[in-house]
Amino acid sequence: MRKAEEIPQIVKYPFPHVIVRDFLDMATLDLVIDALAGLEYEFNESDLFSYLSFGLTDIDHPVINILRDDLGDEFWRRKVAEKFSVKPISKIDMGAYVYGLGDFLLPHDDQVEGRIIAYSLHLTDIGITEKMGGALHIYEADKLGKSTLVESLIPEYNSLIMFEVSNHSWHQVGEILDDIQRLTVTGWYHA
Amino acid sequence: MPDINFYYLEKATLSNLKRIFNSSDFPFVRLSKFLDIESVDYEPKLEREEKIGYYNREKGSAILEEFWQSSEFIKFLGRITGLKPKFRSANHLNYSPGDYSLLHIDESEPNRLSVVYDFTRSWRLEWGGYDLYTSPDKEPLICNRDLGSLMIVKLEKGDLSCTRYVSLKSKKSTLIDFIIYDLD
Repeated sequence: MRKAEEIPQIVKYPFPHVIVRDFLDMATLDLVIDALAGLEYEFNESDLFSYLSFGLTDIDHPVINILRDDLGDEFWRRKVAEKFSVKPISKIDMGAYVYGLGDFLLPHDDQVEGRIIAYSLHLTDIGITEKMGGALHIYEADKLGKSTLVESLIPEYNSLIMFEVSNHSWHQVGEILDDIQRLTVTGWYHA
Repeated sequence: MPDINFYYLEKATLSNLKRIFNSSDFPFVRLSKFLDIESVDYEPKLEREEKIGYYNREKGSAILEEFWQSSEFIKFLGRITGLKPKFRSANHLNYSPGDYSLLHIDESEPNRLSVVYDFTRSWRLEWGGYDLYTSPDKEPLICNRDLGSLMIVKLEKGDLSCTRYVSLKSKKSTLIDFIIYDLD
């Protein structure tokens, strides 16, 4: 079950984002990680990214169903919409992503019709450090497209990062530089 | 100006290259040891250019600017491809660790001939930095780094190309002259 019932103050710069720590209770967390470990991930790569993934939006699995509720039940969707001051959220989608050595996701803004808030629940329990790579880099970009790195969010176990999707929401996942597996459940809240 | 490797100027070779170029699903040809690279003065003057979500790299005048515009080379291109290329632009591009370009930088490009000459030394495959060409309904074409190679690719409207992300673990940079010729 969800442990966190409140969302901290939204950080407005360079675009609205927040970290909710201790998102799940430990029992649920263990079950979720076990369930994710049993999936058959597909390797995906393009000019923009390299990672393993597995779609979770439509699968019927007792633990994933609980996680889907924890991330997307009516209470939490209302909280998220209120906190970010966005229109009501109708649904979520979700997928599991594993980044290993050399994997990355280059800068992009996540804009696809209907997406309001992006989220990422971090599930790697080894204590990722900056040197290992895999941080979520948050950028500010000027009108010409020149970027400034504003913040590097190191993945924290059982933390949920959310940000508002807009034409300012430039971010990337830094290249994994060590032999680790950066596991997340990631997706978007939709209008 | 540097000399083209004499092997590529022989009639039989030219004929073979033209056949290879025009028989591929993705018309391309790769010519290793195309020039005597040691005779080339490599002194690039580069400036960083970034458009987030499109590219982040250093750019300057092509090292062999005059050569790429020369009638000798354009005639050579015509003989290999059977096309009538018209010089459009030539730049030197440097992709350092963490640099990239993405395919959609080519979104509005018309038919063209893409020519890449490789100045990259001591490259390792795991560092990425290769050239990627895509076309609807065709297998992607990947061109790994190879010092002294010339890559010639015919791209049509809707075809895309980029230089893939260079790993932060790379000890070198991807260094290329990147030349575009327009096609009718």
